[in-house]
Amino acid sequence: MHHDDMANDDSEILRLLDELPRTTSVADGEADRIVAQLRREGFFRARARTMRWMLQAVAAAAIFLVGVFAGSQYARRNSLEDMLARQHLSVADRVLLLQRAGSAYVRAAQSYADATANVDSNAVEVASRVLLGAAHAVARSSLDAGLSARLTTAMQPAVSPEPAPRKPVIWF
Amino acid sequence: MTPPLLPFELPDGALIRRFLDGDERAFRMLYERHSPRLKMTLARLLGARRQDVDDLVQDTWLAACRGLHGYRGDAKFSTWLTSIGVRTTLNHLSRTGTRETEVTDEFPAPASNGPASMIDLERALAALPNHQRIVVVLHDIEGFTHVEIGEQLGVAEGTSKATLSRARQALRLALSEGVSNAS
Repeated sequence: MHHDDMANDDSEILRLLDELPRTTSVADGEADRIVAQLRREGFFRARARTMRWMLQAVAAAAIFLVGVFAGSQYARRNSLEDMLARQHLSVADRVLLLQRAGSAYVRAAQSYADATANVDSNAVEVASRVLLGAAHAVARSSLDAGLSARLTTAMQPAVSPEPAPRKPVIWF
Repeated sequence: MTPPLLPFELPDGALIRRFLDGDERAFRMLYERHSPRLKMTLARLLGARRQDVDDLVQDTWLAACRGLHGYRGDAKFSTWLTSIGVRTTLNHLSRTGTRETEVTDEFPAPASNGPASMIDLERALAALPNHQRIVVVLHDIEGFTHVEIGEQLGVAEGTSKATLSRARQALRLALSEGVSNAS
């Protein structure tokens, strides 16, 4: 309070003014009137906007997670292992499975050879035995009109106990 | 570790931010914190028209809320709010016209004997001409400076000082002679 203009005869007035109450009661309903008007003017919509934004974010996250789950399910269902385990495959699916398994074998053999830097005889041994085993299995099932039988005969030296020079991988 | 503040303990700035984010409860807390003083101030500024105070409090709050984005916290929120209330009251008084010598019936009659009471003073204040009453209320009760009053009323600082001097003289006269004879 500024009493810089106080004259001597103002002191009593100023004392009385100092003693005046500074506050008064406010009825409960008065705040409601203002809140209602502010709501009409849109002051409390920001929260609704925030809530709507959060709901949209949650919905987007849920859609993303559902997509990830569905994608992983689809990928797993079409994996080599899953297809091998399934009993009810069409002929076309079985042909596809055979091609994929063969390609997988070739890739595995190639990566094995690369990993051993072409000096490890075990690479040749393993690759040859796996290929020979596959050829025997195909020959037993008579899927290739005798080709596998001839192939196994041709490959016989490669799986002899003695270390042999590395053979090129047969590509499917 | 300091425990978090309860909502009613939050400073004005935090409540304002929450209100601007759409928090109704924050507004109600601001309202409950500042309205009792605002209402008293506006009632005194209104003088004989203090029955209009509830409408003016509402108008003041609405104007403050609409301009709250422009409040930068340079002054205390209560001071800023009071300034808006003063402008709202001045507009109201100039719009509605005034009966400057009419004393409100809300105050009981002054005591015939003995020292001046607060009720006598309130009656004497209400009976003052508008410009004198506003200067007394703002300077001697609310603590505004003459510069601030001059800005509010659109008058020079010296004019505010002179008006205050005359107002105090009128109050002294009213209290010594009885409010019913004051003019």
